[in-house]
Amino acid sequence: MSNLANQLVIAEREEVARAIRLLLATPLIGAGATPEAFDLVRRRREPVGKWFDYYCGWSLVVEPRLGYARLAKVRVATDPTRPARRHRTGRAPFDRRRYTLLCVVAAELLGVPVTTVGLLADRVVRASAADPVLPPFDTSSRAERMAFVDALRLLESLGAVDVVDGATESFVDSTDAKVLYRVDATLLMRLLAAPVGASQVAVTPGRSHTDEVPLRFTELLTRLSRERRYGDADEPVSEVQRNLWLRHSVFRKLVDDPVVHRDDLTPAERAYLESPTGGQLLRRAADQAGLLVEERAEGVMLIDPDGVATDSRFPDDSGNAKVAALLLLDVITSAPGPVAVEQLRAEADALLGRFPKWAKGYRGEDGARRLVVDALDVLRAFGLVRLDSGVVRARPAAARYAVTRTSADDVEDES
Amino acid sequence: MRVPPEMFRFTTGERAELYVAILHAFGEANERLETALGLDDVRARLRSVGWLDPLDDKDLTEALGSLRDWRLLDVTQNHAENYRTADEYERRNLQYSLTKRGEAALAGVVHAMGVLASTGALQTAVLDAIADRLGELVAQLGDPGVPDRRVFGTLVELEGHLEALRGNTKQFNGELQRLLRAEGADQETFHEVKSATVAYLQEFTTNLEQRAHAIANRVELVEDRGVALLHHRALVGAELPPTSGGDPAVAWLELRRARWEGLRAWFLPTDGGTPRVQQLFVVARRAIIALLQVLDRITESRRRSTSAAGDFRELARWFAVAPTEEDLHLLWSTAFGLGSARHAHLAHPDPELVVSSARWVDAPPVEVSALLRSAGRTERFSRTGRVRDVAAVKAARAESARAERAALKAAWDRLDTGGGMRLSQFGRLDHEVLERLLDLLGRALAVVPDRHGVHRATTGDGRVEVLLRPPEAHREQAVLRTPRGVFTGPDYDIEIRTPGGRAARRPWRAAEGAATG
Repeated sequence: MSNLANQLVIAEREEVARAIRLLLATPLIGAGATPEAFDLVRRRREPVGKWFDYYCGWSLVVEPRLGYARLAKVRVATDPTRPARRHRTGRAPFDRRRYTLLCVVAAELLGVPVTTVGLLADRVVRASAADPVLPPFDTSSRAERMAFVDALRLLESLGAVDVVDGATESFVDSTDAKVLYRVDATLLMRLLAAPVGASQVAVTPGRSHTDEVPLRFTELLTRLSRERRYGDADEPVSEVQRNLWLRHSVFRKLVDDPVVHRDDLTPAERAYLESPTGGQLLRRAADQAGLLVEERAEGVMLIDPDGVATDSRFPDDSGNAKVAALLLLDVITSAPGPVAVEQLRAEADALLGRFPKWAKGYRGEDGARRLVVDALDVLRAFGLVRLDSGVVRARPAAARYAVTRTSADDVEDES
Repeated sequence: MRVPPEMFRFTTGERAELYVAILHAFGEANERLETALGLDDVRARLRSVGWLDPLDDKDLTEALGSLRDWRLLDVTQNHAENYRTADEYERRNLQYSLTKRGEAALAGVVHAMGVLASTGALQTAVLDAIADRLGELVAQLGDPGVPDRRVFGTLVELEGHLEALRGNTKQFNGELQRLLRAEGADQETFHEVKSATVAYLQEFTTNLEQRAHAIANRVELVEDRGVALLHHRALVGAELPPTSGGDPAVAWLELRRARWEGLRAWFLPTDGGTPRVQQLFVVARRAIIALLQVLDRITESRRRSTSAAGDFRELARWFAVAPTEEDLHLLWSTAFGLGSARHAHLAHPDPELVVSSARWVDAPPVEVSALLRSAGRTERFSRTGRVRDVAAVKAARAESARAERAALKAAWDRLDTGGGMRLSQFGRLDHEVLERLLDLLGRALAVVPDRHGVHRATTGDGRVEVLLRPPEAHREQAVLRTPRGVFTGPDYDIEIRTPGGRAARRPWRAAEGAATG
């Protein structure tokens, strides 16, 4: 029979699980934008912090007074489909200009507690001019101002700068815009999650950046994420460090990626995941986070039935591309071998014929091609297909979305 | 405090250095008991105090003249010596010596330089020394055989230590406040000075209270023996030199009294106020906190803000030259870690159902909305996600709990014997009621019987009590029938009391049995 104590335990478990998934979806939760989520994390910060620390080796900082919770997600990113996005309709990903400006702006903001948009722009102009690698910042160009505003608005949305007066957007129209900002320097610094600062990673300053950075790019990412606690990668590490590293590296993938195929893992990681300890921890971690484990011969995925810990859903009807992705996936999985992109284009044409209401963007000559590209992006983002040299291959996990044998023919009436 | 005019004139102006050097030379000479110096002596002495610039007679004479005008030096003519030549007479005739004012001026300058150069220090050793001297005084005052001179010596030492404590504290406090005020400057050394100061203060405040307490105790002990006596004996031991103008003893005693008051103010104020040493403690503690805060800020700003700005700038460069569009996003995710996790939301109703060694293609697929495939949109309910309807679950749970309780109550009501009876008397029962009965029997039999062989037990919630007495020999098996079967068992005497019923009767008998059903 349930009693009050039981109910409290259940409530706590649910809250902890939810807080974990909220943080997975939004590693920086501000009290201003999402007061309920913040409050939940604040209340359950101890078990939640422990969960992240134990399984992923990620630290959680909750600042109850300053009103934000920050989970420092440390990992070398391998998935390019999760970019920073503009705060505009369409939520287009950041481009090179915007990323660059974002960093310059952040660096300049660190020096001033309060500033205006004009002063800030001036500083960015000067900083860019002084740096041989950075392109100059030209406030007379509308496109540049737009990029600048996008970078600022991202910082705004993260709570690193606070608009005291005015609206950042107005700077797009005029450099005379009057916007006053208050800067939260600590939060600004906390935006950097990588354990090693970029300035600590030796790249010879000056012109060689242009040559050196592209060459060493992957290595640079690895060095940004190097954590001392696991020992140096080049030197033999202790058993304890090795185990810790295995646990953390496996779980970082599991909790962050839609599916972890076994061939994505190193042999050591695979062995860890297949060991009794690994399996047990996987189940426990998933249970505490309110996630379901789906373990198959080819890999493992953690599923969030509530869809809290995800930036995007699949299958879903939230865009034509997603629907197309599902339908194209049927084609890809049911084909005996790899499918050429060309082939999919024909399918896409058929889809466009079948759904005449689909977006204008997919109408016209190039529409089918674009639809295929977008649909494949969706599938790739969920780890369901692999694309190389014009050929699409389904990854094993794609089979879970195959047409259900029994329900394949119960077509419902639509209106 | 009124300083005589012109007393420190020599410290200013372009020749100040020379004046100071000359006075210094006289000071040195005085220490060697040479009170009067001629022109050549002054010149020789100047070299020994570090004045190496050329200096002709005229300048030197002028300088000496000035000092004389300011009444720092006295000039006397020496007629006692034999001069062989006129020249020699001119040179050696005049003898200079420091006036009292000159001595004071020199002492003032030396002291001022000392203060500028020194760093204040708080020493627990000083406190220990004060306590020790006080202890000695207590002993000496209690023993008339101790020479007064020793008393005098100890008292002077005590006062010296107290003076040191005051002086050090004053300086240290001044420095501490300057340290707390000043920020910026050279951060590196600053940081070190501050952390060293914190360590130092922590060291000092350890056991400060015990030390202060010990001193206060001894002050009381000395006072018990009599401060007047102490001062009197010290006065005798001091053997004051005679001076012109009155009895020096009066002023001397006055000074001792003032010092004693000072000691009390530090450790045991007469008016019962807070001892100064306590304030010292407070100041030190406050300083520690303040310094730690400042240190925090320094380390934070040093570790982060400068380097964080540098990190952002470096990242900007990387973004500017990263090879491909995808690399930009990878760099963003790696450096900022602000991206969302990504997970599927469709799952099997029971994920455990499929073995983990199965391949995905062999496992049943998850149920994807058919409408999505056919019409390109999902049903409303699946779109909002599977939000668990907690209210319904709760209501269902509550309902089942209520039903369970009601059934239980009914069963117990049926079972209430209203007094003692035989088990066999139940005869026919519903199956559920028999289960309750078995539960009660089980509980009772699990309890060790009391002296009379009675098993007595209650249900977990204490609402139902059951008493069981073993059957007498030869009694027949109890046979209970339910729709599902027959139960046979020893025919115990049983009494069941529920909140509603009541009873008390007598024993029966039976033997071991088992449920069949």
